[in-house]
Amino acid sequence: MIYDASIRYRLLKDRLFKISLGVLSCILLMPLLFILYYIFINGITAFSFDFFLELPKPVGEAGGGISNAIVGTLLLIAVASTISIPFGVLIGLYLSENKTGKLPDITRLCIDTLQGIPSIVMGIIAYTWIVIPLGSFSLFSGAFALSLMMIPLISKSTEETLNLIPDALKEAAYALGAPYHTTLLRVIIPSGKSGLCSGILLGVARVSGETAPLLFTAFGNPFMSVDLFKSVNSLPLLIFNYATSPYQDWQNLAWGASLLLVLFVLSLSLIAKVVSKR
Amino acid sequence: MLNLTQKTIRSVELKESLFKKLLVLSGLVVVFLMSGLFLTLFTKSLLSISHSGFSFLTSSTWDPVKETYGALPFLLGTLITSILALLISLPFSAALSIFIGEYLKEGFWTTVLNSSIDLLAGIPSVIFGFWGLFVVVPIIRKIELFLGIIPHGVGILSSSIILALMIIPYSASISREVISLVPQDIKEAALSLGATPFEMVTKVILPYAKSGIFAGFLMSFGRAISETMAVTMLIGNSNKIPSSIFSPANTLSSVIANEFAEAAEAEYLSSLIELALVLFFVTAFFSLVGRFIIKKWMVNA
Amino acid sequence: MSKNSVVLEVEKLNLYINDHHILKDIDIAFYKNKVTAIMGPSGCGKTTLIRSVNRLNDLIPGLKSTGSLSLNQQNLLELNPIQVRREVGMVFQRPNPFPTMSIYENVLAGYYLNGIKLSKDDKERIVTESLQQAALFDEVKDNIHRKGTFLSGGQQQRLCIARALAMNPKILLLDEPTSALDPKSTASIEQLIIELKSKVTIIMVTHNIGQASRVSDFTAFLYLGELVEYGPTQTLFTNPKHTKTEEYLTRKFG
Repeated sequence: MIYDASIRYRLLKDRLFKISLGVLSCILLMPLLFILYYIFINGITAFSFDFFLELPKPVGEAGGGISNAIVGTLLLIAVASTISIPFGVLIGLYLSENKTGKLPDITRLCIDTLQGIPSIVMGIIAYTWIVIPLGSFSLFSGAFALSLMMIPLISKSTEETLNLIPDALKEAAYALGAPYHTTLLRVIIPSGKSGLCSGILLGVARVSGETAPLLFTAFGNPFMSVDLFKSVNSLPLLIFNYATSPYQDWQNLAWGASLLLVLFVLSLSLIAKVVSKR
Repeated sequence: MLNLTQKTIRSVELKESLFKKLLVLSGLVVVFLMSGLFLTLFTKSLLSISHSGFSFLTSSTWDPVKETYGALPFLLGTLITSILALLISLPFSAALSIFIGEYLKEGFWTTVLNSSIDLLAGIPSVIFGFWGLFVVVPIIRKIELFLGIIPHGVGILSSSIILALMIIPYSASISREVISLVPQDIKEAALSLGATPFEMVTKVILPYAKSGIFAGFLMSFGRAISETMAVTMLIGNSNKIPSSIFSPANTLSSVIANEFAEAAEAEYLSSLIELALVLFFVTAFFSLVGRFIIKKWMVNA
Repeated sequence: MSKNSVVLEVEKLNLYINDHHILKDIDIAFYKNKVTAIMGPSGCGKTTLIRSVNRLNDLIPGLKSTGSLSLNQQNLLELNPIQVRREVGMVFQRPNPFPTMSIYENVLAGYYLNGIKLSKDDKERIVTESLQQAALFDEVKDNIHRKGTFLSGGQQQRLCIARALAMNPKILLLDEPTSALDPKSTASIEQLIIELKSKVTIIMVTHNIGQASRVSDFTAFLYLGELVEYGPTQTLFTNPKHTKTEEYLTRKFG
């Protein structure tokens, strides 16, 4: 054995390195746990029947709830999903079916760019394309801005999922005489079902906390509204408006809304994880 | 042949070609959407471009009342907050990705750390901002009092700290993936030559994964620049060029969030849209270059 | 040979992928209710040849083929691939049952994917018959509505055979159907092939010289895209006319 005087020093360095990595990682855990704790402690006190069922009350009156924002958020997500899921899946299908070529490459580049665009810019686009022509803020324009963000997410996860499906299945379907569209819709898509679903759920989770694209589109509304062409409130908008207000009551509602939103987003990502493992 | 009439074959052929066209159409729509998006930003900025010209990027005065639109304070504000956030997050995301990617590949603590990253990534921006207002801002205010400077609380430092927390999951997950792509055999080769894990990480893995990690930083930087809500709530909305990291400032996205809804004059609105155009170019640049480098690296790896 | 009736006649089949000439002037006739083995070293074009029969080669970009493959006096190259594939079943190297479908649905997959509606009685009959023909019925009859993924490799391959048989094909193509299986499963598939030829004409690609001699009636030997020799298996194996065939059979190359 060669005796190396420095070996003890090297091992020490290695141990120090490992410890410092662990310490840094744990330091990172602390604010995270603290954020969750803080939201939970402040939010849970706001939870009550009224919180879920009532409308916000004017400043000074106690109580009130955020039912309009809950309904608004669900509606925004529903409309945005209706636009972006079929479209995103089709694009993903197109890209996984056409791995090379000019148009697929350009489409891929556009999807990548679209994904990198700041959410506030999507708000401006929805404002100029929909709010200005229709003359008012609306649920539809907000949902459109959200769907602009969902489309790249869904199409990329669809493409990645479908790329993993072995060609053997496609050949098996063709060999039985199945036409192109049936092969894709009845064999390929069902085979990637769990991956597709989890991608969609993650896309929904991602946009349901978005505020910036809603600022000049859905705009917010103190009343209950289910009209596609009227302004509507949403949880993130309500949090933004109430968090920056000077009133304790409103801040409390905002904490409650934050807890609700975090629970919603986290359970969506949890479901997505469970679905993708199947 | 036997049980297939010419009619059914023709209808199947028609459906096949329609379906193929539908797929191509979906690709085309994306391209149109993207070009439309860019053209909209561009045409709506034209008024501002002709009004302010090049001084839009160099002038330090943003005063809608006097119709002077200079975006320099916002450019600097964006740059400083994002760089600071990146610097704060760097040791943590690096430690995290090496720790999970190389040391603790499985086990209880890996699961804890991994799910924490996922949790952190799942918290909406507006809630980070809210929490920052109530927890980080008071702390910064105390520090400012202690240092004897004006205790704004809100400002570049507060935003950067929150921004750092927000980009850690993103950059950590990219670098974790890059590290996991380093081939097992060169790691084993290093160990078999008597290297300690530390030496293997610093002398083999990191040099090998260098460009991939660099790309991850570019993409995280793009993320930091495009982040809006938390920064809007914490930066303090000042249209002056920041003088220190404690100063209130504004970023490209926060000024849009704050002023877009109240901009009535055409030139004001157009100037804000030009800010969005600049933001679009900057973020697209970072995310595309980052993606390009990563793709190239993955092909080589 | 004259007492055999020809089912599929291949004449002057040439196939190119971009500039590569893959199959060169292939002339071969396949006989009804016989097993024909196609042999040759890797890359000689045997898989390409059988994929021409059910037009699966159409998926390859840059492909061009000339000549004719006549089945029922019709040139397969001029028909829609869908028409061709209903008459020609195929089983692949690796078992590929559809993972989203149950055993029952897998057998009926051809009908389902072609949008053909069947009555419940027809479904039951087709599933039972096809599984019986594929010698799988007794093993799976209690689990017929479960996903096929729990089956062994050999059972999965027999499920794929049942799936192809369910469409009542005139020709069954087998592309090295046992190359991914263990010896026991291989033996059962070989036995099955011999039983099946009374119902369907079989064309199989195989690497395994022993397998060809055990199950096939005719053997074709391909080399570098050309048909070197074709004849009754016994004649070809005992008395090859070409030196290339002899060298291959005595494992001098390939």
